[in-house]
Amino acid sequence: MGKLLSFLYRFRAFLIFVIIELFCVWLIVQNNDYQRSAFAASSSSIVGSINETAKNVSGFFRLQSVNESLAAENARLRELLSTSVNVPEDSMDTYLFQTDTTDSMMYKYLKAEVVMNGIRNVNNFFTINRGSAAGIEPGMGVINASGVVGKVRAVSENFAQCISLLNTRNPISAKHLPSSRMGTVAWEGSNPKKARLQYITTDIAIEVGDTIVTSSFNAVYPKNIMIGTVLSSSPDANNTYLNIDIALSVDFGSLSYVYAIKNNTKAEQDSLISTNPLLYE
Amino acid sequence: MNRSLIASIVSGLILVSLQILLFRNFAFFNIGFAFVYLLFMLSLPKETNHLGAMFLALLIGLVIDLFYQTLGIHAASLVFLMFVRPFWLSANVPRSGYEVNDLMVLGNYGLGWFMGYSLPLVFSYCCIVFFVEAGSGDLFWQTITKALVSTVITLAFIIIAQYLFYPKRR
Repeated sequence: MGKLLSFLYRFRAFLIFVIIELFCVWLIVQNNDYQRSAFAASSSSIVGSINETAKNVSGFFRLQSVNESLAAENARLRELLSTSVNVPEDSMDTYLFQTDTTDSMMYKYLKAEVVMNGIRNVNNFFTINRGSAAGIEPGMGVINASGVVGKVRAVSENFAQCISLLNTRNPISAKHLPSSRMGTVAWEGSNPKKARLQYITTDIAIEVGDTIVTSSFNAVYPKNIMIGTVLSSSPDANNTYLNIDIALSVDFGSLSYVYAIKNNTKAEQDSLISTNPLLYE
Repeated sequence: MNRSLIASIVSGLILVSLQILLFRNFAFFNIGFAFVYLLFMLSLPKETNHLGAMFLALLIGLVIDLFYQTLGIHAASLVFLMFVRPFWLSANVPRSGYEVNDLMVLGNYGLGWFMGYSLPLVFSYCCIVFFVEAGSGDLFWQTITKALVSTVITLAFIIIAQYLFYPKRR
């Protein structure tokens, strides 16, 4: 026994080293569980407020470009507003109005500002300055004026941590707009301006510049939200699928204001899907 | 002892906050990161308690991780760095030998010694960080380039900082 103890004492540095490393590995594995509940560590209030202060300083120098992008979005929305006024053929239509608008509101947009953003890692995250107090929940989609940005992963009271589209473990269900064919957009881990559209078969004609948008096969994003445009396409080695590179429409290097999307019917949609006996055998 | 201790604490606080607030936002050539806070861990005196140094590494690593959004990765590599450091120090003794409670900095032992001491440690640190972060060997060449460039840039900053801010002996 004494020998054992003296042995343990001699190698205490190594033993403690192994124990600390196991603890770190446990943290990494916990944190790698991307889709389920994760540590909200970097959305915690202390880290969040330090980041917000730092962002306030650096954000000051970007005010002009942020203003320009917001003004451009305003202009686009105004244009949309002016074109969407349809002239009714039957004058009786003018007297019909919805009595209950809650049913027609499927998506609600909550505005937030990005206070911390990463684009240089293989698996990137960003933090926004709204949390559960503003109605943000894990699983909500995040977009900005140019397109899809990511998905909320963990929330604290005033901050939320989100998985960026620039994360190799965050594939998004997408649609090739001209052909309406479904695929998956996944980031490959190196270039923050490019992603890969997968699972499009070779019989589809893909042109450079075709638009890729979100599909209606998910409860996270509304359909037809811009993701990017096709850069190049070539058949893969087995000639089954196309390797399609797309240019992302969002400039992740200068994210500022974003919208979190609350889908009012998400719970209903998910519970219906989970009753499918074929999915969970 | 006291002067080294105070210098260590002050430099530690300054370097960690610089890392969090300033250097986190820079990526040189898009792939090179500057982990300047490693200077604090590398400069600790040789007499620093081995176990204490590892727990300090765990603490600082976790703080860095919170801001890099990579919980556990920097902590794991920093603990590894502090675990091998004493063995590497005794394998790499400068010609004049170590003096008690001296900071392990360039001003005390010279540029050549400091390069030989810090280069393998910083490189192994960067390798662990980037390979664990990538999660697989799929992006091997990209990851190894990232680690190499980051090592060079980190070392450049660490060495310049020592010429500018650390006292020379005598």
